[in-house]
Amino acid sequence: MFDKRYIENFDWWLFLAVIGIMVIGFINLNSASAATGYHFQYKQLEWYALGLIVMFGFMCFDYHVIPSLAGYIWIATVILLVLVLFMGKSVGGSQRWLSLGFMRLQPSELAKLSTVMVLSSWFYKDEREQYRIRDLWKPALLTLIPAVLIQRQPDLGTSLLLLALFASIVYIAGIRWTSVILVFTTLMAAMPLAWKLLKPYQRRRIESFLNPESDPFGAGYHVIQSKIAVGSGQFTGMGYMKGSQAQLKFLPEVHTDFAFSVWSEEWGFIGDMVLLSLYAILLARGIAIAQESKEPFGSYLAFGVTAMIFWQMLVNIGMVTGLMPVVGVPLPLISYGGSSVLTTMMGIGLLLNVRARRFMFH
Amino acid sequence: MRISGIKAILNVKKFGPEDQGQRQGLCNGAYILIFLCLSVFVARLWYLQIINGAEFRQKAERNRLRIVRLQPPRGKILDRNGRLLAGVKPCFNICIVRKDVKNMEALLGRLLPLLNEQESAVRVRLRASLQQPGYIPAVIKRGADWDEISRVEARLADLPGVVIEVTPGRKYPYGSIAPHLLGYLGELSQADIDANRFPKAQPGDLVGKYGVEARFQSQLAGIKGERRLEVDSRMMLKRVVSEKKPVAGDDVYLTIDVDLQMAAEEGLGDEVGAVVALEPSTGRILAMASTPKFDPEAFARGVTVKEWKILNDPLYRPMRNKAIQEAYAPGSTFKIVMACAALQERVVDESTQFFCNGFFKLGRRTFRCWDWRGHGQTNIYKAIVQSCDVYFYNVGLKLGVDRIARYAHGFGLGYRTGIDLPGEQRGLIPTREWKRKRFHEAWQKGETLNISIGQGFVLTTPIQMASLISSVANGGDIYRPQFLEKIVGPDAKVIESFTKDKKGHIPVSARNLNIVKNALKGVVQDRHGTARRCRIKGIEVAGKTGTAQVIKQTKRRQSEKMAWKYRDHAWFVAYAPADNPKIAVAVLVEHGGHGGSAAAPIAKLVIERWLQLISPKPVLMPQRRADSSLHHMAHRLS
Repeated sequence: MFDKRYIENFDWWLFLAVIGIMVIGFINLNSASAATGYHFQYKQLEWYALGLIVMFGFMCFDYHVIPSLAGYIWIATVILLVLVLFMGKSVGGSQRWLSLGFMRLQPSELAKLSTVMVLSSWFYKDEREQYRIRDLWKPALLTLIPAVLIQRQPDLGTSLLLLALFASIVYIAGIRWTSVILVFTTLMAAMPLAWKLLKPYQRRRIESFLNPESDPFGAGYHVIQSKIAVGSGQFTGMGYMKGSQAQLKFLPEVHTDFAFSVWSEEWGFIGDMVLLSLYAILLARGIAIAQESKEPFGSYLAFGVTAMIFWQMLVNIGMVTGLMPVVGVPLPLISYGGSSVLTTMMGIGLLLNVRARRFMFH
Repeated sequence: MRISGIKAILNVKKFGPEDQGQRQGLCNGAYILIFLCLSVFVARLWYLQIINGAEFRQKAERNRLRIVRLQPPRGKILDRNGRLLAGVKPCFNICIVRKDVKNMEALLGRLLPLLNEQESAVRVRLRASLQQPGYIPAVIKRGADWDEISRVEARLADLPGVVIEVTPGRKYPYGSIAPHLLGYLGELSQADIDANRFPKAQPGDLVGKYGVEARFQSQLAGIKGERRLEVDSRMMLKRVVSEKKPVAGDDVYLTIDVDLQMAAEEGLGDEVGAVVALEPSTGRILAMASTPKFDPEAFARGVTVKEWKILNDPLYRPMRNKAIQEAYAPGSTFKIVMACAALQERVVDESTQFFCNGFFKLGRRTFRCWDWRGHGQTNIYKAIVQSCDVYFYNVGLKLGVDRIARYAHGFGLGYRTGIDLPGEQRGLIPTREWKRKRFHEAWQKGETLNISIGQGFVLTTPIQMASLISSVANGGDIYRPQFLEKIVGPDAKVIESFTKDKKGHIPVSARNLNIVKNALKGVVQDRHGTARRCRIKGIEVAGKTGTAQVIKQTKRRQSEKMAWKYRDHAWFVAYAPADNPKIAVAVLVEHGGHGGSAAAPIAKLVIERWLQLISPKPVLMPQRRADSSLHHMAHRLS
């Protein structure tokens, strides 16, 4: 089964970028853990190791089997998402975790990758030159059902991410420009309705994003403190483990959502440039793999996985630098979280998989 | 071919060339989007970290650091013998760190019931504190008592942002003693901030606002220290980052003597007036009293509206230092100047006599002598001892107003003595020139008669008269009255100490001065002297009484029968011992009546106390009760 060319086509740049981000992630969590008093960094190290194993696992089988399994993947995801609503663990007002004994699984994380796989499969099977709006109701439903379930937890960030993934895969599959404009205007018109559906705390977050100083102790607190942390990093940073905002707990959620702020505070602009460069390599390789693939499914899959990492990075860094409202989206491989690490590494595995098998059509 | 086999099983579709081209374009679009987004992040990070980095780092510092001001103990104020007049005691302030308060109204709702303080007062202080950064504790209750402190302390956990600060406050071991000289402390006001009167003080600090406290504010205040604490987001102390110790203020020793000051204040009692006692050989102020007094502690605590009304009562004027800020007609005490001028200008000599039949006719107007029975043939000695007005009417006419004024100026009258306190009055010595400028009128001879007996336009302050009698006592040297003995730093180093400051010499020859001094002795010692009440057994006292009319009296009436505010002011200036003066005193009692009866006993009390204090033998006059004259006064007042 193993062809020599699998090794030759192994994407070292992508792999090294991932390892680089993991190294930064561990170093950073070591500091964040000192601030919180829990040893997240070692747990994360285990997840990284498990993630690498899973990555190789997702590399080894031929990704072309995925379309035939897409239906099961979707159903399994929806079942998990329904389960979490009934028997999930509630942390900080939202119910996101399923206890599996050895780990607490976050099905919404898996839903990101499964949405990518399901949508890629659907567009692959239903291949067309270009799509019109009415052609898209089926994949839209495939996305919306898990998205609504996730929103019920509630987890606005992830459910919006699923919609972004849908848009990304529709984009690569090809859609008419007129349809794009139509969807866009409809979305704008639907905004007030969406506003009504949001929970009060979600509205407050958006309000405080628009004007964080209006309520410095309330919803705006996190953004203000995060901007102070990022800004006070200046050019070279406050020094490792010396970021006062993180170490003295002015910064919330230092190990998850605001991990980037900790990095920025302690390593400054230089450190940020290093991390952003690694992400740039990762994303560029992802798009290149989508571009180089000779057949649509691999291309959609690679594009979808890259989009998954890209959107999460965009929302997370946008949030901690005050460019976007506070929505809890992890920074891939930097934020602490087993489900997130495993999902990302599965995605990376798929990217390497697509890349390794591009010669199949020579 | 295994691979094509799998392909067949999975039915893999390959891109056509058209699809390939479309996908290339879409992927390039994705590259551009990623590039744009990363560029936005780089720009954003540049903006936050490079352009505004310093500002954010400062904000982080403000998050992390809490600055605790360490107030230095204010310098003490002591008397000449090192007895404590104003010391330091701990003062507990309840403060709010605004930055740490999430809901101010809720906090006030919980805090206010614990305090014995009006809500409006708290809100005023809170509003004033908005001027300074929120991390500096704003004092909302100064000098909280033990009950308040323990109530607040017990609930401190429910009162986030509330801190109890210990600052040095003033204590006055002798109570309100010489408050007009010592002055008082008050909280730095908005007006002070606007005028930048105390550049080193912050809102909530106590600063010297009056008297010595104000004059030596910079020396007394010391140097503030600060302790920088690192705290976490729950305001838990992590460590002390740095500490700058405060430097205690310098101690100020005054020339006054507590015992003498108390004698002066006891002597004045409930009367309204002033006493100034000087050391004739140096100009040291030994006592300076002004009544009614005020309580300096009220100002540090914050004066209530009711207290403020009393302090500014227009009749009693407790806030005025009557020793230097009020000028009165000197009455017959001015005859010392007249006598010196007359002798020096040779308009009279020792033997010159004028006949007094109780009044003096000038044209159609009659000027009375205070004694309607008249003094008969009167020479200068008798004129001073019995304070004959008619003698001095004659002398005054011969001298003329301008010569009188020249001598008065020569004695320092009409000028500030130069005491180092703000608000000293000049008094007034009229001249022809002055009247023309002031009233556009020519000088009248009758006015010369009035000023000859210290009435009319002439105005002098008690300290001017004390300086005058002091220079008579010491043979003619005029010294600037001073109250600063020395300033001693916290390391016991003397920073500044008293040096006498001679301003001039009175324009009178020693021979002529001795003629006057001899008569001044007679004022107290002679059987007919006007100040027999000031006699002290075994000691020769010299002095001159004065009774200054407040309103024009056509008929002599008994002072006691008039409303208090129309009664005459009583003056007495004296020194003792007459041949070797150790103390010179000026006493003024507002509306006290006759100088001889109202003012002289107070001077006597002061002189007696001083001579006792400086006597090598502890008890100089065992048979006399020091407070006998007080009993007399108390009787008279009731």
